[in-house]
Amino acid sequence: MKTILLVEDDKNQRLLYEQELRHEGYEVVTASNGKEALERVQERLPDIVIMDINMPKMDGIEAMGRILGKNKEIPVIINTAYSNYKDSFMSWAADAYIVKTSDLSELKEKIKEVLAKKSKDS
Amino acid sequence: MSLNNTQAYDKILTIILAGGQGERLYPLTKDRAKPAVPFGGIYRIIDFTLSNCLNSGLRKIVVLTQYKSFSLDKHLRLGWNIFNNELSEYIEQIPPQQRISDQWYQGTADAVYQNIYTLEKEQPEMVLILSGDHIYKMDYRSMALFHLENKADLTIACMEVPLNEGKRFGVIITDEENRIVGFHEKPSEPIPSPHNPETALVSMGIYLFNTTTLVKAIIDDAKQDTNHDFGKNIIPEMIHSKRVYAYPFADGTNNNPNYWRDIGTLDAYWEANMDLVQESPEFDLYDKDWPIRTHQEQNPPAKTTFKKTLPEERTDMILNSIVSGGCIISGAKVEGCVLSPDVRVDTNSEIYDSIIMESVRIGENVKIRKAIIDKSVNIPDYMSIGYNREEDSKHFTVTDSGITVVRKEMHLI
Repeated sequence: MKTILLVEDDKNQRLLYEQELRHEGYEVVTASNGKEALERVQERLPDIVIMDINMPKMDGIEAMGRILGKNKEIPVIINTAYSNYKDSFMSWAADAYIVKTSDLSELKEKIKEVLAKKSKDS
Repeated sequence: MSLNNTQAYDKILTIILAGGQGERLYPLTKDRAKPAVPFGGIYRIIDFTLSNCLNSGLRKIVVLTQYKSFSLDKHLRLGWNIFNNELSEYIEQIPPQQRISDQWYQGTADAVYQNIYTLEKEQPEMVLILSGDHIYKMDYRSMALFHLENKADLTIACMEVPLNEGKRFGVIITDEENRIVGFHEKPSEPIPSPHNPETALVSMGIYLFNTTTLVKAIIDDAKQDTNHDFGKNIIPEMIHSKRVYAYPFADGTNNNPNYWRDIGTLDAYWEANMDLVQESPEFDLYDKDWPIRTHQEQNPPAKTTFKKTLPEERTDMILNSIVSGGCIISGAKVEGCVLSPDVRVDTNSEIYDSIIMESVRIGENVKIRKAIIDKSVNIPDYMSIGYNREEDSKHFTVTDSGITVVRKEMHLI
């Protein structure tokens, strides 16, 4: 079973994503900010990270940079309510950039796509 | 199409890589980064690249430092604090900030990757990447114009060197339009240039990137296990997918032969200094159209004295040499030398083909040949350096080609 690290500061959204992704057959580990995300990665390497950007303590862009600094092979999907972070050069390091909507099908599709690409590459 | 000063300065961010360890220049790099090694009497190596930027109208410059950066930092602070921040001009020094990595710079590309925030903040159209350890004069505006005319994603400045020397560089293969179709980093058998079978076209380590191309390339590279090096990884990868052009280096300042030296070794360092004292040097420090700037402390003028107290009268003889301010030469012979400020050479001493750095004291009846004497060394009376390789090797660094190097502040008495 593939493991997803879900990084999201909004409790309700975190629960929603967690349930939906479990339903898709993934194991889901959660973190509520970038700092926690680094701790989770250190405890156990996930297969993929879903990363919100606007979060307290450490934002998603910095957390992604730090995760990639140590584990460059982990794919990261940015999942944010804002499209303007696409201008941030560091966001280009993500494998995909998704603007949040109530419909999670795009996210689910991207997760499949990115995981398939990763297993193909390795 | 033309690129005037204001345009160049607005569109281009310059990044100078000044973080290398400079092991092959040891002991000159014992206490300082390679770009901070004194050169040509009063300069530091980085002054040449910075002067090129200044003379090319580039005034947004970041210098990426790493090892032993104190001396470099001090030099930039004292000598290059000339840009006006209020006009958005700057020279900023950036050490590894561990913003996205808890490691030091892992290679040239990683150094830029770790400073991706600087690019983001500045949002330049193009990024010029330079080394802080080359001696040359170049108008980067001509290169930028070439880059724009060719609608290039990346332009690499290149020059021809004797075929065999191609082994030390990145060898470039171009098509008829100067587009790069092959790139081999330090090949064992360099491929000759199409223009001249006895030379190879090599990269000078001067890169002009479109910013988006650069950012994508360094991110891709950061996510792979590579050496994170422009020459080894980024460029060979990029020539297949992007428009990469070779800009034929031309010394923009006059019609002299193109002069470019990579100060990578002690021998190269010595030779490049010796180039300056030739009667009509290939590299002219006295060219008013292309001034080289530095930081200098106040010094009285250089002076020579005539000593009548000797058994046989003797005058100073100074031939083919650079003598900086504050030097006093008293009844000695100096030939083919580069003397930094505040050097004393005393009676009856003879110095040939040597680089003598700041505040060195040379006593009486000293003989020095083909040597580099680093700062603040006192050479006692009757000492010989450069005449007995075996003896010199016991105390000093002696290169394969026979240059003796005395390290900074070494006690010889």
